[in-house]
Amino acid sequence: MRVVMRIARSAAVALPALLAGTQAVSQSGTVPSATDLTAEIQALKLEYEARIRALETQLSTIEAKSRAVEREAASPVRRAKSTLDNAFNPSIGIVLDGRYASFSAEESAIPGFATGHESERAPEGLSLGHSEVTASGNIDDKFRGNLTLGLGAHPGEATEVELEEAYVQTLPGAGLPEGMRIKTGRALWTFGYLNEQHAHGDDFADRPLPYRAFLDNTFNDDGVELSFVLPSALYSEVGGGLFRGDDTPFGGSDNGLRARSVYARIGGDIGRDAAWRIGGYLLDGKSLNRGGGGHAHGHEEVAHEEEHEDEHEEEHEDEHAHEEVHEDEHGEDFAGFFSGGAFSGDTQLYGIDVRFAVAPTGNARESEVVLQAEYFWRKEDGTYALAEEEEDGMEHLEELRTDSIAHGWYIQGVYKPLPRWRIGARYAWLSPPDGAEIDHDPHAFGMMVDWTNSEFGRVRLQYNHEALDGHEKDNQFILQYVMSLGAHAAHSF
Amino acid sequence: MSRHLARALLAALAVIVPACAAADARVFACEPEWAALAGEIGGDNVTVYSATHGRQDAHYIRARPSLIAQVRRADIVFCSGAELEVGWLPLLMERGARREVQPGQPGHLMAADHVEVMERPERIDRSLGDIHPSGNPHVHLDPDNVARLAVELAGRLARVDPANEGAYRSRLADFQARWGTATKRWRARAEGLRGMKVVVHHAAWAYLLGWTGLDRVATLERTPGVPPTASHLRRLVERVRTTSADAILLAPHHRGDAADWLSQRTGVPVVELPFTVGGRDEASDLFALFDVTLTLLEEANNRP
Repeated sequence: MRVVMRIARSAAVALPALLAGTQAVSQSGTVPSATDLTAEIQALKLEYEARIRALETQLSTIEAKSRAVEREAASPVRRAKSTLDNAFNPSIGIVLDGRYASFSAEESAIPGFATGHESERAPEGLSLGHSEVTASGNIDDKFRGNLTLGLGAHPGEATEVELEEAYVQTLPGAGLPEGMRIKTGRALWTFGYLNEQHAHGDDFADRPLPYRAFLDNTFNDDGVELSFVLPSALYSEVGGGLFRGDDTPFGGSDNGLRARSVYARIGGDIGRDAAWRIGGYLLDGKSLNRGGGGHAHGHEEVAHEEEHEDEHEEEHEDEHAHEEVHEDEHGEDFAGFFSGGAFSGDTQLYGIDVRFAVAPTGNARESEVVLQAEYFWRKEDGTYALAEEEEDGMEHLEELRTDSIAHGWYIQGVYKPLPRWRIGARYAWLSPPDGAEIDHDPHAFGMMVDWTNSEFGRVRLQYNHEALDGHEKDNQFILQYVMSLGAHAAHSF
Repeated sequence: MSRHLARALLAALAVIVPACAAADARVFACEPEWAALAGEIGGDNVTVYSATHGRQDAHYIRARPSLIAQVRRADIVFCSGAELEVGWLPLLMERGARREVQPGQPGHLMAADHVEVMERPERIDRSLGDIHPSGNPHVHLDPDNVARLAVELAGRLARVDPANEGAYRSRLADFQARWGTATKRWRARAEGLRGMKVVVHHAAWAYLLGWTGLDRVATLERTPGVPPTASHLRRLVERVRTTSADAILLAPHHRGDAADWLSQRTGVPVVELPFTVGGRDEASDLFALFDVTLTLLEEANNRP
């Protein structure tokens, strides 16, 4: 645009000059003859041509100059200059999550499992879900850092800031063997499919039952993890970690190195437009008075127990007597120990995940089918301690010795028929710890439909039918929005 | 139990690792056009893998396990750049890629860094849709850009695989000769298309329009990355009628419904161009890509 205006200006200057030139020529002759006229016209013509040539050179210089300016603007050096003041800032991402929920049942608890705050049913009515702020960036050529704060707004309570992730990981330039990466701090560690991703990336408004029961939604303990992508044609990755042992499925770490993990997974393509991944995982560790909710919310149970420390001491001698009573007597409420007690002992949690995605046209953004299933198997060997009020009004700490197995799975399918619309269904099932003697297997069915305006904004309607205990069924409706601002993580498989 | 698992892992390692040794230079190309170019310059000395195929939209690709495995073994990562692959390539690079293919290394070749990028936005805001702050990344539809990248790629290949430098240089010379002749032919054909009025979908055709002199009279997707709205399409009908457009251009990875709708109401034909190598069966290599594209445009332009 600017170029055009400059050309116009030069033309405006040149035109009067040309006209002036014509006048000068016509005034010079007194009685112009035909030959004079021809000569004059010839001279005029030459003059015009000269001037036009001059103009043309002028024009091309201007054009060349403007091209140079454009090139300069386009060059990376120039760009860096204009954004230098914040080029080194970490990228910031914010996720806004809000919902309206309606439930048919008053209470919602999974019998036989001590679930914490995180995995509880969302508050009824309008509420904010999990708002998130993430800052991440490269520290130098060897390390990358990430900090994610989860802001939990529970109605009637002060807004709670949870440090979801705060980790440092090595970059490929760190000098480790090719394909190896070390991550340390607090992170959403590698276990199953969903654990590694933030809840707002899920296909449903809530986590499936096995995640709620076995992990209190996520395992994000403090620790260090090493992973190794093998140089094979088929994708294969192995890894393992050491953790503090303070987050569900563990809790109450005393020496800060009580849990470890190993995992392996493989994946590949089927044809051009379908992909799969299968993984196997193990979390193994010790708990010491693990309450319901792990490190973030789980200290209430422990505190509660300490209040009754005196009773505990008195009871201590009778511990064995109690144990025997519980193990022999029928009709005793064993489930209460598992649901509300503090666990001390060994936990092994195995997981398997399978994911299969197919996009009929190759473009997952247009249309896609994703099937996903996970299976968790947990063995707990130790004791559950529960404070119980006796007839004399005093509270006693009772213990239950247990070596029990619990397991659960879910399977889900999500179909995207149109670029903006997805529908999904999920079924989840749990088998409570065998020692808890619970007849009913909690299970839940969910359906969702969501609408995605762009990559950054999504609105979802979900229906859940939960039969967690043998008595009451819970019909839930959840209307949710998830919107993200700023930098957002890449699309993982 | 965990000891068994560890033993099983070691056994798996013993099977997988020996299968990984490779003699060739491996090129991981993000798009088929760069895979084709790598094939031209690298010939038998390279193993080329294309992360996407001709009917895929390279903006939206999942960082699938197979891509992690491929990028893990690559000696050169050859992509369009300018944020085209921003949704998935960084994840692959971070997850599996070797140090030699990381940004700033000879093994990291982004096409947009080596040509003049068009349409660099003055204002950047998410409300403008899925825009590329670094400008239009679809640089391959200008034959001069392909020629520049052929030179750059040959240099990179020579650096990562010095033993075969001679082969890369001679193949480059051969390619340059053939490409130069073809480019002259294409330019002559493009003269006949100058001023042809087209409706485009997204910014995919900016470079093609640039050198052929086609005239863009309307854009189907008003906001990049956001499908066209009904009201925008209604306004388009009027615009397309008054400007008497010659064709509605469509890439294989674009949904045709909006284009078809517009075509039905205006009588302007939809022309599905290959966009990249493999975008149509006939567009089997880079030369065919340009030949087919020009043929299709000429057919639409010569329509009575």
